[in-house]
Amino acid sequence: MLEAKNLKVKRNLTALIDFSRIINSSIDLDFILNNVLLTCLGKFLATRGLIALKEKNKIVLKSSKGITTELLQEFPELEATRDCIDDPKLNSFMHIANLKVVEKISSSDDCIGLVCLGEKLNKSEYTEDDVEFLGTILNISATAVQNSMVINELRNVNRQLDSRVQRLSSLFELSKEFGSFAESYRVVKLLVFSILGQFLVQKYAIILFENDVPDILDSKFDNEKLLQLIKRYELHKTPDSIKKDFLKVNHNELLELGVELIVPMQLQNKTRGIILLGSRAGNRDFFNSDIEYIYSVGNLAIISLENNRLFLEALEKQKMEEDLLIARDIQRNLLPQTLPEYDKYDIAALNVSSKQVGGDYYDVIPIVDEKFYIAIADVSGKGVPASLMMANIQAFLQVICQQGMKIDEATAMINDLVTGNTSEGRFITFFWGYINNKTNTLTYVNAGHNPPYILRGDKVIKLTKGGIILGVVKTFTPYIFEEVELKKDDVILLYTDGVSEALNLEFQEYSEERLERIAKSLVKNSAGEILNGIKEDVQIFTQGNTQSDDITMIVIKVR
Amino acid sequence: MAEFSTSVRENGDISIINLKGFLDAHTAPTLESNFTQLINDSKFKIVVNFENLAYISSAGLGVFMAYIESIRDNKGDIKLTNMSDKVFNIFDLLGFPLLYEIYKNEEEAIKKFSGS
Repeated sequence: MLEAKNLKVKRNLTALIDFSRIINSSIDLDFILNNVLLTCLGKFLATRGLIALKEKNKIVLKSSKGITTELLQEFPELEATRDCIDDPKLNSFMHIANLKVVEKISSSDDCIGLVCLGEKLNKSEYTEDDVEFLGTILNISATAVQNSMVINELRNVNRQLDSRVQRLSSLFELSKEFGSFAESYRVVKLLVFSILGQFLVQKYAIILFENDVPDILDSKFDNEKLLQLIKRYELHKTPDSIKKDFLKVNHNELLELGVELIVPMQLQNKTRGIILLGSRAGNRDFFNSDIEYIYSVGNLAIISLENNRLFLEALEKQKMEEDLLIARDIQRNLLPQTLPEYDKYDIAALNVSSKQVGGDYYDVIPIVDEKFYIAIADVSGKGVPASLMMANIQAFLQVICQQGMKIDEATAMINDLVTGNTSEGRFITFFWGYINNKTNTLTYVNAGHNPPYILRGDKVIKLTKGGIILGVVKTFTPYIFEEVELKKDDVILLYTDGVSEALNLEFQEYSEERLERIAKSLVKNSAGEILNGIKEDVQIFTQGNTQSDDITMIVIKVR
Repeated sequence: MAEFSTSVRENGDISIINLKGFLDAHTAPTLESNFTQLINDSKFKIVVNFENLAYISSAGLGVFMAYIESIRDNKGDIKLTNMSDKVFNIFDLLGFPLLYEIYKNEEEAIKKFSGS
């Protein structure tokens, strides 16, 4: 009898030592818990059991055998106190789960977990000895469990640290790359790649706002719908990121499209673009730290995109300036380099082109000894297009003046030519005429140009006869010409609106009245002196302001 | 500047991309062009061998995400093999094993393609 009991104790001891060796040889928590549970079930011939461990001051279920998942879900929330196994919630759970005995796992008086076991296969109750033996098993297990828990915790911390280091190095790398890119499509690509890789996302869109108007740089959503919704929900005003919960309640259509997160890209506190992301693999949520990361990457990218835009803008501006130089060159070459000289007529002309280069044109074309043409025109618009139209007009004039056509018919023909050759909305105000040396007359047609003056002493004659401006419609009402007899000391003054509409700093126009007044006061001088006098007066008037339009004048004084 | 290069081999209807060096934001376009080329050629069974890859950044990982959808839509896949512990750790950190099959060596990946 005693021998039999001794044998039993010996067997128990051997088993305990074996058990101790096995669980202490591992740091794998799952392996240890599995072993503890199986040992308990085997020792007491129980068919069910569970182990729960302390985690952040709660007792959390870790391992179980023979209990259905539905039942396991009922496992209560327990505080990790020293007498955790006396909790009534645990008792009632044990009752419904048909668990008969519970014992805690302690480490230096601290409860680090508990074990529950079900009824024995032979239906017998747990004896005092059984409970004591269970206590012994758990005491042996405690150190191994504690150690592997610490190691697990360390592993987690390490992983979090790894993850943070990884994100930081990504950010660092991206900031370097974004800084060196010139092309925005590569910036967008990189932005996309780094976010997709970091968060395992497959659907995305990158939107830029140009004056609050959305522009899709890259997208895997339905673009048409996306644009519609972005406009409807005024996402350019989004100051903060928008998460799934908010989308569900407020912008459900975006959620239906597959959008689960919207993060603004901001520059100087203004939202300049947005990043839209679809779901993460494995149905994971975007956490705040994730959103912060996306926000950082997005802001790095937007700086790069903005620099890019400014660079292109500067290029464009430079190109425009080159254009203007070309326009100025064309214009300069079209204007007469020298003016013909006549005994009876003193001719002077002036063209001061503005920074923008307008479309002013004038010409003096000698035909035969007794006749020469004068022309002045203002082409609408500025820059190269206006200059090219000027070139057209000049070519027409050079040809037509040689043909000996009647001036009214010739004007109709020029109008038809110009109308047929201009893009919509362009027009030319045009005045031309010829002076006959022998008869001392001026024959002119005015096609919508500021009426030139003939200053005769105190009198002013305005040359208004003609017709519609060139280039609007083909001629249907014939142009009218007029022949004016010239007298000695008459001054003919032709000008463009760059003179009469020159602005001073108060945005007042120089005006035709002032032009008339100054011209009258200068009438006794030579053509060149009159021209300079007017020019100086305009300069005095506009002092401090930049010249916004070309200034062109022709003065002819009859000797 | 970190070096990166790729080479593509054929094994039956399976294309094997070997990566070498540092796959980061700067070098990602190289791998990108490999994928677009294979997709253009309708070669959707792809094995990527990481044996000689020293480093991969999230932008490098993004390249895999950007093309996986269209490849799987065409009944293909990208399978990953021969990762060093360091490279695997980054894939693991970001949760890639959820989405991609990762094998010890090329043979296993190729076998998996022929099996399916």
